[in-house]
Amino acid sequence: MKKEIPILFGLIAAILWYSEFFFAGMFFDNLKVFFASGLKIAGVVGIMIGVYSVARQNYFKIKYNNERYYAILRVSMIFLMIFLGSQRGMASGTPFSSMFFNVYIPFQATTFALLAFYIASAAYRSFKAKSLESAVLLTASILVMMGKIPLGEAMWDKIPVIGEWIMDAPSSAGRRAIIFGGYLGMITMMIRIFFGLERSHLSD
Amino acid sequence: MNVLEKLKNLDRRIIYLLVFLSIIIPLIPGFDFLKFPVSASKETKAIFDIIEGLDEGDAVHIDFAFTPTQKAELLPFFEAFYKHCMLKKVKVFIYYGASVNGMPLGKETVKRIMQRPEFSHMEEGVDYLNMEYIPIQPDIQIFGMVSDYKGTFKKQGKIFDGVETLDDIDLILGISGSKWHQPLIDMQIRFHYKFAMAVTAVTGPDYIPYFQTGQLCGLSNGLRGAAEYEMLVSKKYDVDYYGTATKGLSSLTFSHLMIFGLIFLGNIIYFYERKKGGK
Repeated sequence: MKKEIPILFGLIAAILWYSEFFFAGMFFDNLKVFFASGLKIAGVVGIMIGVYSVARQNYFKIKYNNERYYAILRVSMIFLMIFLGSQRGMASGTPFSSMFFNVYIPFQATTFALLAFYIASAAYRSFKAKSLESAVLLTASILVMMGKIPLGEAMWDKIPVIGEWIMDAPSSAGRRAIIFGGYLGMITMMIRIFFGLERSHLSD
Repeated sequence: MNVLEKLKNLDRRIIYLLVFLSIIIPLIPGFDFLKFPVSASKETKAIFDIIEGLDEGDAVHIDFAFTPTQKAELLPFFEAFYKHCMLKKVKVFIYYGASVNGMPLGKETVKRIMQRPEFSHMEEGVDYLNMEYIPIQPDIQIFGMVSDYKGTFKKQGKIFDGVETLDDIDLILGISGSKWHQPLIDMQIRFHYKFAMAVTAVTGPDYIPYFQTGQLCGLSNGLRGAAEYEMLVSKKYDVDYYGTATKGLSSLTFSHLMIFGLIFLGNIIYFYERKKGGK
């Protein structure tokens, strides 16, 4: 029954959800609101599960000395932010806001900025014209990059046009093929879940 | 060991240092020597034209779905777009969709913009509204907005006068660096709303096919897109709204040139070794 009931719920929800696409009326309008409200509640429960999961993971890390000091630091920071936010509010000028803007934002921005350094190093070591295909790829990428920076346009006004054509025609065509493939896979998976053939989401 | 051999085994920390310098030096006042004018791409211009075509009191919904990670690329666009809407006296609803982390950043930015003398008479709840965060997926959000826009976000205010359902929203703008807005692109075909996006440069190419099909009515791509928007608004209204995106373009140019140089050097070493009979 552990498996059958969720499959039955899934089947009923899918039938109702699909009916809404084909029929109009108050019942189906209310159905949309019902699903929207239900999923909002599910989202709130999801956040609660997330909080529980973080607390549980860090508790075991501290208990069994698995990167204990990182876990202590992580939990301390979480509780510090909760404490500051609940005691003094989150408006600008409060300690929470100060921590957020002066600690959290620079940390996150730094993590993303590291990408530029890795790309430069990887490009130097690996981006070589070893074959005709890689030479074409290299030329196309340089033209696209030149088209994206103002210097390219200043050098020759056709560089952005060429770069744009590469993005709009060959690159876009390849991407469409990937999108089509992905969506066909999703439809197949959806049909399998609908008929109860796919049970991996139920840990089967 | 000759020079090329040394260059082949160049310590990655030297590459990191060169990239770091190529980004930092143009940001130092007086060193932004690689400054060139930008022209607006058709994708960015399309967003600008839609806002230009709106009348006072029309409504725009911004789904601010990025975290501070993408602040450098996406926040300048948000600032320029928001200022443009305020200049046009368009009602702006800002919803922090995917990102509870981005909410303080967005609210602080809005607060800072509204302190400017030209916008100081505008009020929250009348001219703009921060709609906080609700744990809800974008597709469900759209279904809610179709039936009851105000009810979906559980908010009140004079700003909702004349805004009952999704049909009353003249443009939805999604700002994100992830796949968060994909359901909004998919559902555009069904509900026919106007949907534009501002994305990071690395995810930009993913959305070009949707711009071509018309599912996206505009697309701003990375820092360059933000600089284009700053330029469009500044020129049209004769104001100085050139911000961090325009300043960052010099750094962007120099760092790109550094990467070209590294690729070129890597290829010279490769061909030299191949000529010598090495791998």
